[in-house]
Amino acid sequence: MALNLEDYYLPASLQEASTLLQRYGAGAMVVAGGTFVHGLEVRGLLSETVALVDISRLELRGISASGNGGISLKALTTLAEVGKAALISKNPAFGCIGDALRYPPRQILNVGTVGGCVAAAAPLYDLPAAFLALDGQVHASLAGTQRVIPLNDFFVGLFESALQRGEIITAIEIPAPAARTASAFLKLETNANDLSILNVAVRLTRDQAGKCTDCRIILGGGVGETYVRASSAEAALRGQAAGEASFAAAAAAVVADFEAVEDHRASAAYRRHIAQVYVRRTLATALSRLG
Amino acid sequence: MKTIQLLINGATHEVSIEADETLLQVLRNRLDLIGTKKGCDSGGCGCCSIQVDGKVVYSCMMYAVGAAGKAITTIEGLGNGGTNLDPLQQAFIEAGAVQCGYCTCGIIMNASELLATTKNPDEDQIRHAIAGNLCRCTGYTKIVDAIKLAATRIAG
Amino acid sequence: MSLIGKSPVRPDAFDKVTGGKDFPVNIKVPRMLHGKLLRSPYPHARILSIDTSAAEKLPGVKAVLVPSEVPTRKFTPVYFVPANAGSMVQDMLIMSDTVRFAGQPVAAVAATSLRIAEQAIELIEVEYEELPTVFDPEEAMQPGAPQLHEHAANNVAVNPVMGFGDLDKGFAEADHIFEGVYNSHRVHTCYMEPRVCIVDCDRQGNFTVYSSTQHLFGVREKLAYALEIPESKVRVIKAPYIGGGFGGKLDIGYIEPVAALLSKKTGRPVRIELTRYEDFISTTRNPIKVYLKTGVKKDGTFTARHARSILDTGAHATHGAEVINVHGVFGLLMTYRCPNSKWEGYTVYTNNMIGGGYRGYGSPQACFAAESQIDEICEQLKLDPIEFRRKNAWHQGEPHPMVQGLNLDSYAFDECLQSGAERFGWSKRQKPNSGKGVKKRGMGFACQPLWVSGCIGFPDIYEHSGAIIKLNRDGTADIATATMDIGSGQITTLCQIAAAELGLPMESVHMVQNADTTTVPVDAPTHASRTTYSSGNAVQAAARIVRERLLKVAGIMLDINPDQLSVVDGKVLIKGAPKRTLSVAEVVTRAESPFVQHGPNGPAPTTLEEKGTIIGVASLAPKANPSPVSVEFVEVEVDTETGEVQVLRVVYAHDLGKLIHRNGAEGQVEGGFQQGMGYALMENLQFDPVSGACLTGDFLDYKMPTAMEMPRDIQSIFIESNEPSGPFGAKSLSEPCITVPAPAIANAIYNAVGVRIRELPITPEKILAALGKL
Repeated sequence: MALNLEDYYLPASLQEASTLLQRYGAGAMVVAGGTFVHGLEVRGLLSETVALVDISRLELRGISASGNGGISLKALTTLAEVGKAALISKNPAFGCIGDALRYPPRQILNVGTVGGCVAAAAPLYDLPAAFLALDGQVHASLAGTQRVIPLNDFFVGLFESALQRGEIITAIEIPAPAARTASAFLKLETNANDLSILNVAVRLTRDQAGKCTDCRIILGGGVGETYVRASSAEAALRGQAAGEASFAAAAAAVVADFEAVEDHRASAAYRRHIAQVYVRRTLATALSRLG
Repeated sequence: MKTIQLLINGATHEVSIEADETLLQVLRNRLDLIGTKKGCDSGGCGCCSIQVDGKVVYSCMMYAVGAAGKAITTIEGLGNGGTNLDPLQQAFIEAGAVQCGYCTCGIIMNASELLATTKNPDEDQIRHAIAGNLCRCTGYTKIVDAIKLAATRIAG
Repeated sequence: MSLIGKSPVRPDAFDKVTGGKDFPVNIKVPRMLHGKLLRSPYPHARILSIDTSAAEKLPGVKAVLVPSEVPTRKFTPVYFVPANAGSMVQDMLIMSDTVRFAGQPVAAVAATSLRIAEQAIELIEVEYEELPTVFDPEEAMQPGAPQLHEHAANNVAVNPVMGFGDLDKGFAEADHIFEGVYNSHRVHTCYMEPRVCIVDCDRQGNFTVYSSTQHLFGVREKLAYALEIPESKVRVIKAPYIGGGFGGKLDIGYIEPVAALLSKKTGRPVRIELTRYEDFISTTRNPIKVYLKTGVKKDGTFTARHARSILDTGAHATHGAEVINVHGVFGLLMTYRCPNSKWEGYTVYTNNMIGGGYRGYGSPQACFAAESQIDEICEQLKLDPIEFRRKNAWHQGEPHPMVQGLNLDSYAFDECLQSGAERFGWSKRQKPNSGKGVKKRGMGFACQPLWVSGCIGFPDIYEHSGAIIKLNRDGTADIATATMDIGSGQITTLCQIAAAELGLPMESVHMVQNADTTTVPVDAPTHASRTTYSSGNAVQAAARIVRERLLKVAGIMLDINPDQLSVVDGKVLIKGAPKRTLSVAEVVTRAESPFVQHGPNGPAPTTLEEKGTIIGVASLAPKANPSPVSVEFVEVEVDTETGEVQVLRVVYAHDLGKLIHRNGAEGQVEGGFQQGMGYALMENLQFDPVSGACLTGDFLDYKMPTAMEMPRDIQSIFIESNEPSGPFGAKSLSEPCITVPAPAIANAIYNAVGVRIRELPITPEKILAALGKL
């Protein structure tokens, strides 16, 4: 179904983009790679949209080290570019990012952007789960003012984020990981071109004695309106010796942390079951990356 | 209506389009570049695959206005015209990778990026690369054979 | 003969790899309008009123069509039978004011652009009276269920019952009796080129049609019948090829008749193309629930088989009325030797989408039931499943169990079993659930012992083919036929058969691009695995006529009896005088030359006998309906924690009489496996249980195997039993390839993890539930 667009804008500056977004309010959608917006369009969810604001011309691409050991991913960096970055692939702490980006299709990885997949606030996406597991932060700009929003506070509801009207994500910052940290990600899909039925991103920090000193367990996919931080699963693992027993405890606990969705893709029972299996598997992978 | 300039297969085309038209719609309906196909119009089948700045994309998911100024390559841009075919096109013919042919051009455009960036990809890499392209006729077996054949020839 | 069994390059491949200009979806004609259908949101309703005034006022809208305007003669839309076939059900209208499934078209518009047409249908106001719904066929059969069609008591459209012997006696003689219920589901053919047509009505009421269809003459017949006009007023132009069909384009849908009526109203051609969502709700494999009771002796010999099949045909009987027969007869009743059998079939109306044709046509649903149950029997009685098949199989030379007057002249079931088992390593199969790790492997196989090569012997089904072949002065040949190339290589196979018969190189034989219903003989559709056997027969017959004529003219030119002549590789050869030859080009040139030719030796008159285009026509039915045989072995790996199934490798053995094109035949097996595996494990057309809306109307939600899920090792063994009635000995191939994967996979899963799933698709969830893990 076609849109009733007044216009398709290609602003040359963040300022211009913000102004347009504020002017049109709920009638405008930001376009970067375009796959999220187009996905909404074909499902008839954009009947209110009268303006598309394409920010792909802004100078917001690239991945760099933040100096303190963290990394900064500029908003328009494509998923494919992130997947190829040595900064990511050479650091086991960022394993969950690499894992998330190994899933096809290339056609989406080539145009999807870091900022776009976060701004979408769609728990079906993969990369934001990995960012959450790494305590990522959103850097956003509105009319010249910059703001930092922790990802933990960013996802408010389905397609609803903490961004204000006119505010545009400029980068995702991943803070420096602690020593002896590794992460991993797994996605349950029916075939290789699929949105997550369920996904799990974990981060594990272990001390020299083998004890888990910190962890994150994030669930995405059919888990509700937004990503879930599985706090009781984390609590079951934190402070324990990192290994099969504590991973099993975390897996058992994860069921209490979320309301699994029941839909035509999968039952709630199946999602609950997979969550447990995947928590164990991702933690085991992360542990193996610690060597 | 907006007038934009699209750079396709090395030539500039000026077209007048609606603001929400996708690249697929513009290619097929405005420019008669019918080698790019519509299979689902929702980024699920890959029949519409083309390259933008050398990267394979779903043209049905790309707004044409946003594609202005980028280097677009469609199936019509492969080979040198006449009977001079791109190694992938030639390999698809020889390996028997073409049945109904509707998915063929999209897969070739995809594999073309793979072969430009990866020398002699293995079967894992090939199947991973074309996972975003559906084929209902061939079961993919001879498509993979064709891509391997082309890769061998390109590697020389 | 040397061409047969090789893999010549497909003549259409060059075009397809460089853009594929000849798909019907690419056709544009001058002054073309764009049509769009308005579809009912309710699954069962009466239309009380339709107000199209706002739509008609929209600039660019040229016509609107509502049910009250369409002809009222009901028909069956299925192409391969006459429109008023007695064995089918004529319950279809071009548009009806009674809605029986969510998505049924209730109005249509034609406008100058698709965008305007889409806006226009939103402006049509329809007042519906909702009616009670029924979605389950067994519920629909109960008294008190909403009656969907006046003519069908208890919503049963047809109820074939067949049997022989004495069932009670047979069960009494059994040492063991097995009973099971097997359920199959809705899946879509997923042809990648959408359904599309352009219909142009001229001022004298003559229609020209372009359509992505599997049956050129079917479009003509059904459109003429639905419009209540003579067939000669409809001309259908053949597309050189279409982008897939698989049985999903084997009936006249709503689009051709609606486009025709809109064209008649507007005086302009009207094009209608379905969106992918509309395609998903236009045709499906019929879900069939099979109640199967089998009696066997302790050594595995069948003593009695009783099956009841409940087929959900949806809102209209269309293919359901025939699928049930094929399913029952070819899938259950006659596949193996069993002296006492009974089968009851029910084609039941529900408020679900209309069931259509799909490769296999009822046999996948049957094979899943039958071959799963045989596996269960063998497991329980500790019988060798290969021996079991052998014990109960038909043999070469025996009368055909289904088609009177025919024998199984070529039937290599044993060889398929043996060669397949050997290549696969079947003897290495372990006991069920014997793996130790999280991922467990298993082996399974399944057979399609009896199938068709076309439709001889079936009441009411068209079965003949025709071809016209002519030679050109440059030594090439043109074949004109109504046989559609839907992707499985009909162009290639027919050119190959013609080339082999004519004695020409493959590159010299061309398929005419745009035959039409006024220029070629009537032909049955591309379906029922019939084109190699049946169209191939006709092409071979036409080629024989051409060769005879060619050799007659050559004989006159050489002053030699044509008996002494043959054609090899484009040259006419004389027996015993190899140095003296004529090229085919020379002979044809002579035949088409002016009456007196001026040559180096002065004027040379030709004779009347040599004159005229060398051309041959054949239109005939094939002599028989030989049965191919198919056996498939698979190995799977099941992740017992997630329930996910991976198919590791496949060995497929098929008796196809004679291998015509090796690469093409392998392609049918590999493609058939993609569809069969998808059917077994992941494909599922799903609907909202209340509104009937389709939940899986795009490829994000409708899952089919990508290159990553497919097994990398698929081996085909082609057994050549040399069918006497087939072109060069060939019989059919393509449908068994899709029929056997599901039961083979189900049996392999049982072997891997010890759980028997009797309902498709076999999802990870079902496996985990069966393992007690959910």
